[in-house]
Amino acid sequence: MKRYVVIWLGLLAIVALEVMLALLRVPTGLLVSGLLILALIEATLGLLYFMHLRYERRVFVWSIILAVVITVVLMDHIWFDAVRLLHQRLTTP
Amino acid sequence: MVEPAVAAVGAHAAGEPSPFGVSSRKLGIWMFIVADAATFAALLFAYGYVRVANPDWTRPFAFWPSIANAIVMTVILLTSSLTMIGAVLSAQAGRSRDALRWLVATMGLGTLFAALHLREWISMIGDGWRLFRNPLGGTPLVGATFFGVTGLHLLHVVSGVVVIGFIAFGYRRARFHAGHLETVGLYWHFVDLVWMFVFPLIYLLNLR
Repeated sequence: MKRYVVIWLGLLAIVALEVMLALLRVPTGLLVSGLLILALIEATLGLLYFMHLRYERRVFVWSIILAVVITVVLMDHIWFDAVRLLHQRLTTP
Repeated sequence: MVEPAVAAVGAHAAGEPSPFGVSSRKLGIWMFIVADAATFAALLFAYGYVRVANPDWTRPFAFWPSIANAIVMTVILLTSSLTMIGAVLSAQAGRSRDALRWLVATMGLGTLFAALHLREWISMIGDGWRLFRNPLGGTPLVGATFFGVTGLHLLHVVSGVVVIGFIAFGYRRARFHAGHLETVGLYWHFVDLVWMFVFPLIYLLNLR
């Protein structure tokens, strides 16, 4: 249980970091990247320890991780169109 | 009547060890988690798309009370994952009374999370927010994405509390065992994990 309490404290510390980052006056791109990286670290800790992936067979872990990663990567093509729309709006009088 | 050859194959397959080294129950919940992760990813990507494409995105949340409330909710959900770990470890060690106490604590924290979320929803609806209406005059997609993403997550939390209650009841009557607690625990940690993305992307980015 002690190990899990340490992980829980680590997750709470990451949440505190996220809040501090959001309150600081950093550029929006840096804020979004920072929040996503911290969320990914949290998710990794949760998957490895709370969901015990660290103790499962590698073939099982990679089957799960690859399925999610491929899905997320395939969705990423939408950002070019989102940015195009953003610029279109900004240049409209 | 089953053909002898088919019956032989079936018996062989039933006796084969799992290539992943996990029980079919655990494999089943992981398949659900992968599919559900894709659902939430699609919703969050849709939110990201409309958010990036709308430079005049409405930011309805002030730090106090909305963001502060979301921070408390985050701490509650993270703590509920720890209590769920306590339940699984206790059940695996054969301490069924402790396991039940941890399960009740997890349900209590899940219920508290849902109550705080619903209170926020009621407050927003009172301010005129709807699924397709923005009372501040901006794009109505703000309400659609907020209620859509947080609503699906809230549905998962409420379902989780009900299922944990069902498993706890069965565990108390010795109908379920530690493996069942581990399976519902995986679901509960996944619900927590999704919130790790919803909290910064929906609430914290609202500050910018």
